[in-house]
Amino acid sequence: MARQPIDQFVEGISAEKRASVYLGTKVTHEKRDKLLHDHYADPDALRRLAGEIKQHVVENLDTYLPKVEAKLQSNGVKVHWASTAEEACAAVHGIMKARGATKLVKAKTMVSEEIGLADYLEHRGIEALETDLGEFIVQIDHDHPSHIVRPIIHKSRKEIATSFEREGLGAYNDDPETITRRARAFLRKKFLQADVGLTGANFVSVESGRLVIVTNEGNSRFSLAATKCHIALVGIEKLVPRDRDLGLFLNLLARSATAQQLTVYTEFISGPKAAAQPDGPEEMHVIFVDNRRTEVLASECREILRCIRCGACLNVCPVYRQVSGHAYRSVYPGPVGAVLSPLLEGDKFADKADLPKASSLCGACNEVCPVNIPIPDLLLRLRNKGKREHAPLAEAGSPPMGAWALMASSPAAWKTALVAGKLMNVLPKTWIPIPAMKAWTDTRTLPEWRGGEFRKWLRQRPRKADGTKGSPQSHTP
Amino acid sequence: MSSSRDIILERVREALAPLPKRAPLPEWDLSRARSAVAPAGADLWPAFAARLRAVNGTPVASPDELVALLGAKGWHHGYCDPALWPALKAAFPATFTVETAFDRERVDDYQFGITSAVGAIAETGTIVLNDRGTTTRLAALAPWVHVAAIRRENIVPDLASALAVLGDDPNVIWVTGPSKTADVEGILIEGVHGPGLQVALLLD
Amino acid sequence: MASDRQLPRADRRVMLMATCLCDAFYADAARATVEVLEHLGCTVEFPEGQTCCGQPAFNGGDWDASRQVVRHAVKTFAGDLPVIVPSGSCAAMLTHGTALEFEKEADLGEVRQLGRRTWELADFIVNGLGVKTWPGRYEGRIAFHRSCHCRGSETVPAALALLSSIAGASVAPFGESDQCCGFGGTFSVSFPHISSAMGTLKLEHIRASAPDVLVSVDMSCLMHMAGLAEKAGQPIRTQHVAQVLRDALRNGNLL
Repeated sequence: MARQPIDQFVEGISAEKRASVYLGTKVTHEKRDKLLHDHYADPDALRRLAGEIKQHVVENLDTYLPKVEAKLQSNGVKVHWASTAEEACAAVHGIMKARGATKLVKAKTMVSEEIGLADYLEHRGIEALETDLGEFIVQIDHDHPSHIVRPIIHKSRKEIATSFEREGLGAYNDDPETITRRARAFLRKKFLQADVGLTGANFVSVESGRLVIVTNEGNSRFSLAATKCHIALVGIEKLVPRDRDLGLFLNLLARSATAQQLTVYTEFISGPKAAAQPDGPEEMHVIFVDNRRTEVLASECREILRCIRCGACLNVCPVYRQVSGHAYRSVYPGPVGAVLSPLLEGDKFADKADLPKASSLCGACNEVCPVNIPIPDLLLRLRNKGKREHAPLAEAGSPPMGAWALMASSPAAWKTALVAGKLMNVLPKTWIPIPAMKAWTDTRTLPEWRGGEFRKWLRQRPRKADGTKGSPQSHTP
Repeated sequence: MSSSRDIILERVREALAPLPKRAPLPEWDLSRARSAVAPAGADLWPAFAARLRAVNGTPVASPDELVALLGAKGWHHGYCDPALWPALKAAFPATFTVETAFDRERVDDYQFGITSAVGAIAETGTIVLNDRGTTTRLAALAPWVHVAAIRRENIVPDLASALAVLGDDPNVIWVTGPSKTADVEGILIEGVHGPGLQVALLLD
Repeated sequence: MASDRQLPRADRRVMLMATCLCDAFYADAARATVEVLEHLGCTVEFPEGQTCCGQPAFNGGDWDASRQVVRHAVKTFAGDLPVIVPSGSCAAMLTHGTALEFEKEADLGEVRQLGRRTWELADFIVNGLGVKTWPGRYEGRIAFHRSCHCRGSETVPAALALLSSIAGASVAPFGESDQCCGFGGTFSVSFPHISSAMGTLKLEHIRASAPDVLVSVDMSCLMHMAGLAEKAGQPIRTQHVAQVLRDALRNGNLL
């Protein structure tokens, strides 16, 4: 029987790495929980409200997108549209070419990961440098982020110190403060030399056309203080209706992502810099990226488009905690990734049809989601899609259900099986030629088979005198 | 050939067409976003200062206090917004070199930068800067110490109130404590790309 | 979920869905459920044709197979009696899961009708019958596992209220009690390494609280944890909530 890739992946993770991912996610999750409950009487009501607002946005993108486009344009922003990853990369490249720009500094944006922007630009002779500390380390290591908010949650300080030494950023030193200072000095020069600052956007207000960008390190701010051109890559689902709605989303995002009351730098950008301001972009571009989001919108999983990329579902997920991000083979790992990543594959859904299976459906993700996405329901829908489309990865390692369904809808067969199952108590378990059984008994014992005993007790127990209480009625409809 | 814009908008319309009804936009009372730590009252400086300390920021109530803080750390070279300098000059002894023009070629020469904040949020210990109030974005970001000069009457109680007064400046930034990261093994390090020390100076 | 559900009838006639796990392995948990319900004055009917709630195939993505089984359950449990299930998981399947897989089916209405009168046992006792404390006596320190499919339902507070009200019993808190035990139905066999690792971690937390017994509203979670513990050579004692309630009655000579 074929095995599930994610379950195989976990065998290759060192105990040290597993422990650090577990600890990092657990600590953030618990702090998040405490902060939300310390600060709000009913944080769940806020999550539900935020979910309703985002669901409204998702279901009204047809009116909101043209509206926000007009608002951005009237604010002096140039608006571009990219229906594919390739188009999005080309749009960035085109803007740079038109300016004769060759150096780009990048704040952390998941969309840029999704479209493979850095590689695209590097191949065309453009320096595209990550400036978020974690993303910078990922970039110099030619690695991939393993968490939406904490890209190097899988790396130890020793590994980082080794990379810094290799890259000529100083002799081996694994003190996190030294590592940070060295990155500060190196990246500061790069910011000041760069032509273009590229960011994502956490939210875009339709009402005002304001882009809202949050960072803790200040790297987005630095790129927008040092460069003359700002390009923002924005997924089409990032809209919020009104500025006031940000009161909800900013509070929820910071607490959910990093257990902070508010992220350190929260920028509200509605256009190029003010005339009197010497620093910052004279030119601002927003590229709205589809890259299969419209397919997700058309699917029965459109609720996933509410996601605000906080990573809380990763932090609480018992599966993510065991396997960490790379197991998901995708830009978006964890519960949100298990839904979003296969959908973003489009007609190659089957390549990632195993992701929705990598969940015990425990529902913890839904409980922490700041926009209340019913992730388990969406995982179930995608499992059904995998089954309907006969995706081999969806089937791998799963016991077939056809015979079971037949038996479970036939009372006579069921009863016979209940009694026949007693054979299991005498057969050595290792002889039972069912792979699922072996997968169970490798690490667990099976309880004694008692098929039919309860029914027998019901039938045979003495009836009580009063005739009602204590006299179960057995009937066959 | 249709533009990408038209293709995307058409796909959006097609995707939404089968929906029997669309989710409505909920109305909600902004007071719901107020956290338990949001203060009330006329003088918001004490509450703001307490929340700023909670995010490792540094409130100072007078120019003398600021100078003592900078002097104690040996930070003698900095930048000051020329509009603020006349009011602060008297507090700075001659051991300090304070420039009123910021030279981006020498960003690392400035140990501190003093600029004007247009407001502050007491609930979160946040300083509000914008393009028209800040002489130069870099001076408020690149030096190790950023000093934001704040007027008491410009402090708002909570985040929701601050959203209501974003105004028409093209660039508003809320700064809540020093720049920080926990990327390396979850260990908190301050002063990543921005200031390692974030000061709020009360102007009265 | 709780808003549209159907309250029990004045005559306290109910139907029991014993669950396939109790039918096959945990006869005493099903028996205890009957004894507890009868103690509360319920008349328990047991439709002999019952099999399973359909969840294994539902979770596996094989919704055609699952719907076949759910339709059988709808037929078997026809009528308007409350259906009591000694499992938060099977209850969630009937109250929530079926709504998802029958969304576009013509018989959604019948399936929902069953869902509205389906109750997890502890929830039924506390919120259906209004019984908030439990008589009798049960000596022991209980580690209560919040099974995941009870999230968002009334079951966990109900079960905790009952357990902690029993004379002699105490409920011992343990770390990360909101985390999954790793069972997850077919997940346990298609992702055996992850599932076992999750369960082992859960057991460490539980053992740290030094309980006398591990209790849950779901035999499936208990089967997983007990199986892991036994295989690892450190067996733990497990009981279904119904068994604890029944034992309390017995110890108090109320049964």
